Formats: sequence, C-alpha cells, structure tokens
Amino acid sequence: MFIRQLSAALAFAALFFGGMAHAADCPVKLGGVLPVSGPMGQVGERISTTGQFAVDHFNAAGGVKGCDVEYVLRDTQGQSTVGVDAAKSLVDLEGVQALIGAVSSGVSLPILTSVAVPSEITQVSCCSSSESFTELAKSGDTNGYWFRTYATNRSQSAMGALLTTKSDFKKTAVIYVNTDFGVGLAKRFEQDIPKLGGSITKMVAYNESQQSYRAEVTSALEGNPDSLFLVAFPVDGATITREWLALGGTDNLIVNNSLRSTDYFEAVGTKYLQNLQGYDSAQPRLPSVATFNELFEAEFDGPPNGPGLHSVYDAVTVVLLAMEASDEITGANIRDNIRKVTSVDGEEVYPGPEGIKRAKALIAEGKTIRYVGATGALSFDENGDVQAPKMTWKLEGDENIETAYYTEKEVAELIIKLDN
Amino acid sequence: MLLQHIADGVLSGAVVALGAIGLSFAMKILRFANFSHSELLTWGAYFALVFLGFTTAFSDFFGGNIGPLSFGWPLLIAMVLSAVATSVLALVLHALVFEKLGRGAGHMTMVFASFGIALLLRHVVVLIWGPNPIYYSNELQFAVLLPGNVRVMPDQVFLLGLTIVLVVSLHLFMTRSRAGIAMRGVSENPDLARVSGVNVDNVVRWVWVIGASMAAIAGVLYGLTVQLRPELGFGLILPLFAAAILGGAGSMYGAVIGGLVVGLSENLSVMIIPTTYKPAVPFLLILLILYFRPDGLFGERR
Repeated sequence: MFIRQLSAALAFAALFFGGMAHAADCPVKLGGVLPVSGPMGQVGERISTTGQFAVDHFNAAGGVKGCDVEYVLRDTQGQSTVGVDAAKSLVDLEGVQALIGAVSSGVSLPILTSVAVPSEITQVSCCSSSESFTELAKSGDTNGYWFRTYATNRSQSAMGALLTTKSDFKKTAVIYVNTDFGVGLAKRFEQDIPKLGGSITKMVAYNESQQSYRAEVTSALEGNPDSLFLVAFPVDGATITREWLALGGTDNLIVNNSLRSTDYFEAVGTKYLQNLQGYDSAQPRLPSVATFNELFEAEFDGPPNGPGLHSVYDAVTVVLLAMEASDEITGANIRDNIRKVTSVDGEEVYPGPEGIKRAKALIAEGKTIRYVGATGALSFDENGDVQAPKMTWKLEGDENIETAYYTEKEVAELIIKLDN
Repeated sequence: MLLQHIADGVLSGAVVALGAIGLSFAMKILRFANFSHSELLTWGAYFALVFLGFTTAFSDFFGGNIGPLSFGWPLLIAMVLSAVATSVLALVLHALVFEKLGRGAGHMTMVFASFGIALLLRHVVVLIWGPNPIYYSNELQFAVLLPGNVRVMPDQVFLLGLTIVLVVSLHLFMTRSRAGIAMRGVSENPDLARVSGVNVDNVVRWVWVIGASMAAIAGVLYGLTVQLRPELGFGLILPLFAAAILGGAGSMYGAVIGGLVVGLSENLSVMIIPTTYKPAVPFLLILLILYFRPDGLFGERR
C-alpha cells in the first residue's frame, strides 16, 4: 500500500516537474483571464478574440525566441472567485509567467493580490480602470507586477465634469453603479464638479440587475436637477434611463464610456437620446493606430469599435516583447523588461507582423525600443498606469458622432487643475 | 417627494399583491413553499410576448392604443391567452412533479423540487428568448403630473385598477361559487372536506389555475410597466414571499395587503436609508413578521 502511494506521488511529481520544464521551452504560454460569458460576455468575447489576434501577429513574426506563443484563455464569468481560480490554474498547472486580464476591476484586484503578486507573475489588464490599483502600487503592495494599458477612473470623472459644465448644466444629479468602479468614479465626480462651477443635487447608488429602479430615480429627481450624470452598464443603464425619462427627468444626460453601446441606444430608443452626451478613451491620431485599425478591419470585416480592443492588443504585444527581451522567461524579467520595450528614448516600433519583426531585430541587436501601438505610445508610470487621450461624443439621429478630441496633454492639465 | 414615494409604492405593490395571491394559496392548500411560483410570472410575461406577435397581426381590426395607455386590445387578449397558457404549464408541472412527490415525499423534498423547477424554468426562458431585456413596445410612456406633484404613468393606473377588479372578482368566486367554497373547505381541513364529498384533486387543480393565472397577469403588467427579463420572477421572489407571509398563508386579502406593505416599505425606505440597501427591505420584513406574528396578519393562529 505504502509503495503504491509513494510511486503515485513520485509519478505525480515527475508529471509536475516535467510540466514545469516543458513550459520553459516551446510553446511559450501566455495566460488570459477574461469574462467570455456572464454579464460582460459580449464585450469579453471580442476582447479575447483581439488578444488572440495580437498573439497571431507575434507568431507570424516568428514567435518569442523562435517558439510559437500559445494563448491559454480561461473564463472569469465576470466573477472574482471564478477569476482567481482560473488565474491559479493558469499559473500552477499551465506554468504561465504573465497574465492578461481581467476586465472588471473587481475581478482583476483579487487576481493581482492573491495570485500574481505572491507567485511573482506579471499581470497586464486591458480594461480595469479603478483607482484602487494606483493606491495599491503606491503603497508598494504590487511589487511592480501590475500594469494596465487603459487610463484610470481619474480621467473619466474629470471628463464627465468637464462635459457637464461645458454644457452649462448647473445642477446635476448622479446615479451610479454600486461597484468599486462606479463608487470611485462618482465620488471623484462629486469632488471635481464644484471646481468647474457646477453642483450636485443628489448622489444615488444602485445595485446591479435589479428589476426596477423607480425608487432610485425618484430619489435622484429631488432638487429638480437640470442634468443627470449616469455611471452604468448597458442593460441596467437602459432601465434607469427609461424610468428617468418616463418620470419626467431631464433628457440632458451625461454618460460614462460603457454606455457608448448600440445595445443601450436601441433599448432606450435613440429618439429619446438626442441630448445625450458622453466621453470615451480615444486613440491618438498616429500612424500606428491607423495600422492597427487597418489590420483589424482586414481580419474581422469591421472596425475595432468597442471597449478594450485597442488596449488588449497592446497589453498582449508589450508582454510578448518583454518576453523576447528576457534572458529567461520569468514573471520578474517580464516585469522589468516591459519598461525597456516602452522606454521613452528607445527606437519606435509599430504593431503588426512587420513591426514586430523589426522590434525583434532591434532587441537582438541589444537596442532599447519604444513600442508605439494601437493605443499610441505606451508610457507606464511608476504605478503601471497610462494616460490616454479622450474624446466626447453625442447622438445625432442614430449616428454616434465625435464632438471633441482632447490630447493626453490636455487631459493631464485638466486633472492637475482639478487636483489643486 | 413623500407622496411620490407613496404612489410608487402602491403601484409596485399591486404587482406583488397579484403574484402573492397564488403563492399564499399554495402555501396553505398545497402545503409547501413553492419557490417556482415566481417563475410563473416570468413565463406569463413571455407567453404574452408570443401571443402579442399573433394578435398584433390583427391590430387593424382592434384599432390602436386605448386612450392614454401605451397598448391596445392586442396586448389585453395576449394577456388572457397567456393566463391560459401559464395555467396549462402549472398543471403540467403539478402532474409531472408535485402531485407525484406530494404522495410520499416530505415537506422539504417539495421545497427543493420547487427550487429545481424554478432553475429549470428560468434557464429555458434564457434558452428561448435570450438573456437581454425585451419590451412589449419600444415606445416610452411619459408620466402624467397629478395634483400634489405626483407623477404616474397611465399604464400604472390601469395596473392598479385591474388588480382591484381581479381581487374583487376572486373574492366573489371564493364566496359564491361551489369551487371556491370547496377550496376554502380543503384549506381548512382536507380530510373533512374529502369525507364531505369534495373532490380534493380537483380543488388542487383549481388552486394551480388561479395561482398561475394571477401570476401570468402580474408578469404581463410588470413587463408592461418595467421590462421583460429572464430574472423577472426571480427578482420578485423575496417581495412575493414577504407579502404572502405578512398576509398569512391562505388569506387572499392578506396577500393583497402584504403586497402593498412590501411595495410601500421598499419605496419609503429610500427616504431614510441609502438606495443600495433597498433590496434588503423585504428580507427585513420577513424577519420581523416571523418574529412578532409567525402566522401573518390575517393568518389564523395554529
């Protein structure tokens, strides 16, 4: 009996170490933890396909260190517990050294603190925008393993406040989703708006997936606001907007970027949304962005419209470039080399198989490079955060049109003005 | 604002009241807590969507919308057809599951079976109609301003009126018709009713039909004033149970009053506590009732 147990244990150990050794050579594995089902399923599916698209480009350029890259995707279902399990299995069983994901801040955060940091794995998110990560990085709890290719909440509330006051709205009600993302954004908005000359009539939080939001809407209507700042996701957002308008609320709506979605416009009815305005991250007007857009259209027969597509492409590419620049592929080396492939004084390289071939050649020559990708020139600050240009939009008939464009510099200046 | 919250509370309580009637009867006469009852609301709402597809084909014949309401005769006919279809669904569930289990299995088995049925029913809805919200009409109905700065939608007023009519006719049915009197007999004492010549099996079927029809109508009215979602019924399960327990099992008026109390307390609570805690209010109500009056306001003491 004892012999049998021992041999089973040995066999298991051999399998385990064999697996570890295997992961160090071909193929090179890259883990993805993304919500391909659940409430974020539609968005997550497109993001994960675009991640694969970036891996395909890298493989077309010869892969990492001559090895093909295998993109191992696990579903988070938009839930933190499922996400942590998925990330654990990717790290322990698949032996990945870098994770792409997750989408929601509430899922990315537990993965970071309970999987990535303890296991010394680099985590790069395409989409989590909560300011909690910045706080965590500042206090030194991320050990530098956290990066994101998506700008933080900070710029979102600033844009919301700017848009509201530029439209001459004086009394604004705020309805926001009761999550880390929504609460953070709404509280910032509350601080920002008086500095630009506006005021808040009422702050109302709502819980997701409720049947009706009549009570919340009635509360928010108190004080006769002349505008509503709505921080929501499309399904609940549509319910709230319909009840808001039906109960006599103003149609001067300012919404966050997640509501820039045809699902939302159609569910409410575009004819009721002609005074709707919003903001979103924008891509800089650079040739590298155009290159990505063209490559994407050629592959998927449609433009890369939707949250997180540009940023996930860059998240994957930056990680793979960092792997290429590492002597040995470990989480710590990837972390350090992400800085080297995005260094400000490096030689610029661009997305797509051709661009990556050139980047690899430069890395082989020992030169520092600067990846200028689908979201423009990535420059991670000490907390792993990036800045992005912003745009504002509105609806005209059924068309979603851009109304203004703010460069990274203008956004940064606005934030400095609001923070002082 | 107080008046507005009261109006909202009464109007949302009316739907809960209709749904709770069937649940209350089931608790008393069928003698188990039927967790799948709320799914009958969902199915009622979606059945009506299907029938609406047929009836709108004849909309020329029926004419347009009725007065200030956002719908016309096609929806009302669809609602009646949906009540029939939902009753059939309930009878099928009864014959296939609950009747068989009811013979031998204990109380808890029935409760868990109803849980299973609820999950099954909900996911079949997702499978057929998809997870996204659907509206009977994509037109938006704007609220009318009443004296006292209260805003209500004409559809909601219709909802309240229909609820009153249904409750009154149900009262007449229970007190005047043979089936209704038999039902009350069975609820008091099934064995005594049986020896007195009452066909208990028939009475049980009547309970299912009434409960399912009320649930279907509540579901349609809910879908009309809010929206159709696969979680429509599931989201109402706590308010429904709170209303049924508050009113006392088996009491129709108890269920109606219970529904109104739940609706009012949910809506008035947001004046005191943050809106994020609103979903906890029915739960708190259940706890309070079970502590102070375990048999409900109108239930008889055992």
